[in-house]
Amino acid sequence: MGPTQIKPNPLVKWNLKLNRPNSCRCCSSYSSCEVTTDLQTEEESEIVKKKKKKKMEEYPEEYRTPPVSLVSLVGCAKHQAVISRHLLAEQPPINTLALPDLSNFLLLLAQKDSTKPPQASGILRRDWLIKHRTRIPSVVAALFSADQVSGDPTQWLQVCSDLDNLKAVLRPRNIKLVVVVIFQSSSKDDINEDRYLALRKRAEVDAKYLLNLIPNDDTELKQSLTRLGSTFAELASTYYREEGRRIKTRIEKKSYSSIDFNIRYCFKVAVFAEFRRDWGEALRSYEDAYHTVREMIGTSTRLPPVQRLVEIKTVAEQLHFKISTLLLHGGRVKEAVIWFNQHNASYRKLVGAPEVIFLHWEWMSRQFLVFAELLETSSASVPSISSLVSGTADGASTEWQFLPSYYYQLAAQYLKEKRLSLELTLSMSETANEIDSSAESVVPSVYVGQFVRLLEKGDAVQPLTDEEYTRFAIAEGKRYQDTFEIIALLKKSCESYGNLKSRRMGSYCGFRMAAEYFAVGDFSNAKQLFDEVASQYRQEGWVTLLWEVVGYLRECSRKSGSVKDFIEYSLEMAALPVLSGTDPQGFKECGPAGPPSLSQREIIHKEVFQLVSGEAGSASAEDNNDIKINADNPLHLEIDLVSPLRLVLLASVAFHEQIIKPGVYTSITLSLLSQLPLNVVIDQLEVQFNQSKCNFIIVNAQRPPLAAMTEDQEGYRVESAPSVTLATNKWLRLTYDIKSEQSGRFECISVIAKMGPHFTICCRAESPASMEDLPLWKFEERVETFPTKDPALAFSGQKATHVEEPDPLVDLNIGASGPALAGESFIVPVTVVSRGHDIYSGELKINIVDVRGGGLFSPRETDPSAIESHHVELLGVVGPEGEDESHLNSNEIKKIQQSFGLVSVPFLKNGDSWSCKLEIKWHRPKPVMLFVSLGYSPNSNESTAQKVNVHKSLQIEGKTAVEISHRFMLPFRREPLLLTRIKPAPESEKLPSLPSNETSLLIISARNCTEVPLQLLSMSVDNEDGDSERSCSVQHGGEDNLGPALLVPGEEFKKVFTIIPLVDSSKLNLGSVCLRWRRNDHSGSTITKTWVLTKHKLPEVELEASPLVVSLECPPYAILGEPFTYLVKIQNQTLLLQEIKFSLADAQSFVLSGSHSDTFFVLPKSQHTLSYKVVPLASGSQQLPKVTVTSVRYSAGFQASSTASTVFVFPSKPEFKTGDAGETRMQSIASE
Amino acid sequence: MIVCVAVVGHQNNPLYIQSFTEEDDALKLHHIVHCSLDVVDERVNNPKKSGPTLNETFLGLLYPTENYKVYGYLTNTKVKFILVTTDLDVRDADVRNFFRRFHAAYVDAVSNPFHVPGKKITSKTFAERVSTIVKSFGLSSAG
Repeated sequence: MGPTQIKPNPLVKWNLKLNRPNSCRCCSSYSSCEVTTDLQTEEESEIVKKKKKKKMEEYPEEYRTPPVSLVSLVGCAKHQAVISRHLLAEQPPINTLALPDLSNFLLLLAQKDSTKPPQASGILRRDWLIKHRTRIPSVVAALFSADQVSGDPTQWLQVCSDLDNLKAVLRPRNIKLVVVVIFQSSSKDDINEDRYLALRKRAEVDAKYLLNLIPNDDTELKQSLTRLGSTFAELASTYYREEGRRIKTRIEKKSYSSIDFNIRYCFKVAVFAEFRRDWGEALRSYEDAYHTVREMIGTSTRLPPVQRLVEIKTVAEQLHFKISTLLLHGGRVKEAVIWFNQHNASYRKLVGAPEVIFLHWEWMSRQFLVFAELLETSSASVPSISSLVSGTADGASTEWQFLPSYYYQLAAQYLKEKRLSLELTLSMSETANEIDSSAESVVPSVYVGQFVRLLEKGDAVQPLTDEEYTRFAIAEGKRYQDTFEIIALLKKSCESYGNLKSRRMGSYCGFRMAAEYFAVGDFSNAKQLFDEVASQYRQEGWVTLLWEVVGYLRECSRKSGSVKDFIEYSLEMAALPVLSGTDPQGFKECGPAGPPSLSQREIIHKEVFQLVSGEAGSASAEDNNDIKINADNPLHLEIDLVSPLRLVLLASVAFHEQIIKPGVYTSITLSLLSQLPLNVVIDQLEVQFNQSKCNFIIVNAQRPPLAAMTEDQEGYRVESAPSVTLATNKWLRLTYDIKSEQSGRFECISVIAKMGPHFTICCRAESPASMEDLPLWKFEERVETFPTKDPALAFSGQKATHVEEPDPLVDLNIGASGPALAGESFIVPVTVVSRGHDIYSGELKINIVDVRGGGLFSPRETDPSAIESHHVELLGVVGPEGEDESHLNSNEIKKIQQSFGLVSVPFLKNGDSWSCKLEIKWHRPKPVMLFVSLGYSPNSNESTAQKVNVHKSLQIEGKTAVEISHRFMLPFRREPLLLTRIKPAPESEKLPSLPSNETSLLIISARNCTEVPLQLLSMSVDNEDGDSERSCSVQHGGEDNLGPALLVPGEEFKKVFTIIPLVDSSKLNLGSVCLRWRRNDHSGSTITKTWVLTKHKLPEVELEASPLVVSLECPPYAILGEPFTYLVKIQNQTLLLQEIKFSLADAQSFVLSGSHSDTFFVLPKSQHTLSYKVVPLASGSQQLPKVTVTSVRYSAGFQASSTASTVFVFPSKPEFKTGDAGETRMQSIASE
Repeated sequence: MIVCVAVVGHQNNPLYIQSFTEEDDALKLHHIVHCSLDVVDERVNNPKKSGPTLNETFLGLLYPTENYKVYGYLTNTKVKFILVTTDLDVRDADVRNFFRRFHAAYVDAVSNPFHVPGKKITSKTFAERVSTIVKSFGLSSAG
């Protein structure tokens, strides 16, 4: 029983304002005292009340909070509030006891003295501390208004008598006096000096303790309040120091009659030190007191032994609490822990008399609990536990001693101890009623830790005998529900461990909580907790601990009548790896399950199977009347891959082949393993597949056939096995043939074992190749065998196999020949010929895939807005000859995308054929892979029919059909000087330059680079920009239509255009060459007849005005011996005078007349002509004499090319026929 | 007196656990050993900063319960040895010495070619040897 609350003193009911730091908002207020005022709102205090009360808070509040100096204000009630508010806000705060009238005060102090006991009959008085905190001020301030002081003689006399009375009361107690005069206005002249002096003398105070207060003036008020505060603080400190010293002297002089007083004095000294916030001295004095109490144990004889020990322990507890609080709030956690350990060690053995031993355990529990709470509240202010722990590597303590959860856990443990001993005590006492009656009217006495009987007449009390006290304590003890307290403590500990991620400690607490719940019959809570704990133990393989927990769970489900849980837990227990090797003697406290042993497992096993088989004649039948399995309550268990019941039944299924043909038998091996301690006979096994047609049933031939099969089992194959008995840890292997008609994945889902008429276990099938070890058993030494006879199958066997499709009986041909040409629509014929299957609902899928992988996109053309986003595009699918797209039925699927097509194939009878043509266009030369697949069903029933697929693929190259090139030429024997050609600048190299105002020639050639002959329809140069005014005129002498021309592979076609620039711009856009062509094949297909247009963009050319033009003129041919004129004309097109040098080299074949070399000037915009008369001396193609012209201004020389300076010399005058086909002859010349 | 010794595998599963008490508290000792694994985890995950304990196999006092002291030892293969004793005043050197001998016995036991690593230790020789080591615990200091 905790220290009970002090009865409220009737005196406090007066109209006095008592300011206490009562809301224990923070117990850490020792370090930084943060006191809430008495002006605390109603709601706030409500919240405080609603908070879960801590054990620690059962201590009187004055013990839990640091004491605060108390001063008293007497008189002038209306100004007291201002002063007390100010004092409370001081640092450190000062509480005020505000009394409106002096008489109240006199009464308050006067009553005290009368109750003072003549002799010590206890160690600490229960109300001493609260008295000093709430009733005995350290300083009294007598408040007088200035009117009173300066008023008429009657008032003055009243003041004087009040002061005298006050002094009389204060002096024996050594309480300090302060006189405060309150002025109504700021002028202090209301009182004359004499009166002032008289007041001071009357009060017998120093001048500095006579203070003024001017409440009406803010600044003055503030000043005077500050002065008042500091004066009060100073005086209070003096008072407490003097009081402390006074009592200390008594200790030093050993002027006390008994050891009780020694303790009391130490305590008082400590409290006064606390008032002064001298924590060090307080701690020392508390420790002295504590040690003295410890010494008292053997020596004191004042009380009967039981009560004596109770008193000592209670006092020690309070002192210890004070010390711990001071240490913890000083941040000295390590010392506090050490102190606590000492406290614990010195009192643990003091159990006391056997009949009240429970009081000791309760006391111990409280020590741990309170210390845990203190640690918890102070842990916020302590930097971090780990930093503390690192300093304690001395091996004497560990980090766990700094955790509140550790103490909570032990508190729970001691409380459990208390409950046990209390139960024992109760069972030993004769009648409970007797105790109850005698326990009435026992109340706490005025001393801490003592109880007295309250006599009926008045306040008289009578000490108790030990016997009476024992009865009282037992009666008190009975009132508490320890179980819930224990659960609450463990829960706290568990949560706290959980926050620290200490799962195992948390589990242990959870387990103990659950055991408490179990003990009080709260099975649902117990089960939930036990389940959590069990999963922890399962995970780590702590079999013995798991045994205990599952044993509890089994009892829980038995008691709550849950058949399924009961069977599950029983089976799990029976299958746990508890071997006979463990010593059962050491495990007597194993809960309801009994000690873990093989025999116990066997008992549980038998119990379960008796229940399952319907023989309810077991011994436990009486208490588990709800646990029944019959036709009304069939039981079905599911075991999956993570279930703990995998130990009970493990089904491994292996197909002997990984791929099977439809309709062909293959072998399947079904292996079952159980770790139950005794043999299990299975009546019937049902094997379930994902193709339910294939499910089959294995019947145990030794058992009588079970009742009729359920409806959904009708039609299943039934196999009979000579024996289906599972021995412990021995695979039961059953091999059967099985076939599937349906292609695709064929998987064994589960195996359902039927044992007894109403009990089935559905066990998920596992593949031997990927089977996990049995949990728990994997740590045991046991014989491990393969689930299948063939070890290879055990390593590779799968519970699923793949059933192939039936072989297709259809030919699918892709008949493309040769490479495709870029630009044309390439036709790929596809033929479907049925060779044994009818084709129903056929579908042809066409896919075009880039050979090199990736899509048919090029990176820079991924922009979807680009028109030719696909280099190769499926344009369409054309049905068989004569069948147009429009003739296709609307319900037939036809879906064409750029690289994907889906076409439905009409029904085809066996032997029929169907063909279609794929039209594919290559935008770029690129090899692609064409995939064509036909999916169909061989029979008309679509819903069940199996699709058969045929795949074909063909790689098709894409090639460029024609290669177009071009060349620019100047007119024959006319050479304009282009300055950019003689001074090549880097950028001008890019564009070919042409002279402006001259006629240039453009030769375009197209080469067939395929392996097939092509037909050319036309070649033209189009201005694709569509400008209305062309920047140049591109003309061609002949007709555009070629007629068409045949171009064999490798052949080149040339066409000459003349270019006359029309505008005077520097750049000239020539447009592009358009070439229309097609394959010259004779396949007769209409599609190939369309002409393909290939465009070739011509580069831009630069136009340049030439300053000089040199032209050579001579006749087209010459005749031997006949002279002709050879002219060299130099035209100056600039406005400058041009100096020209020239020289002429002699030629062997000619005789010439004229100057060989000279320098002359050509005038602006004029022409200079050099004229030679030349006589040819030899016939044939002859070189004219070479002329070299040099422009001095441009330092450019010109020498005619050899072609330009060659002339053919006939031996005699030739005869030409006129009017031949020259006019119409094509200008195209086939190159050699 | 040593009341319990245990070998715990690296998956925190018990490999060998033996109690040496006359009382019926074997299960309680199992709980204590199991809970002490939390402390081992804590020590391993947050090693102390102080230098010499780096690479130290001896983990020291793990867990004070009211009546027992629990010491731990961690091998390089993450196998833990736990010792529970009722002696309140134990010398570190004794415990270290005990663990060293215990470790040697363990190494010999798992070196048996018929022992499968990771399984429980069922060797009788090991059990006998452990019981000898347990009996001789603390004697050297007394003598």
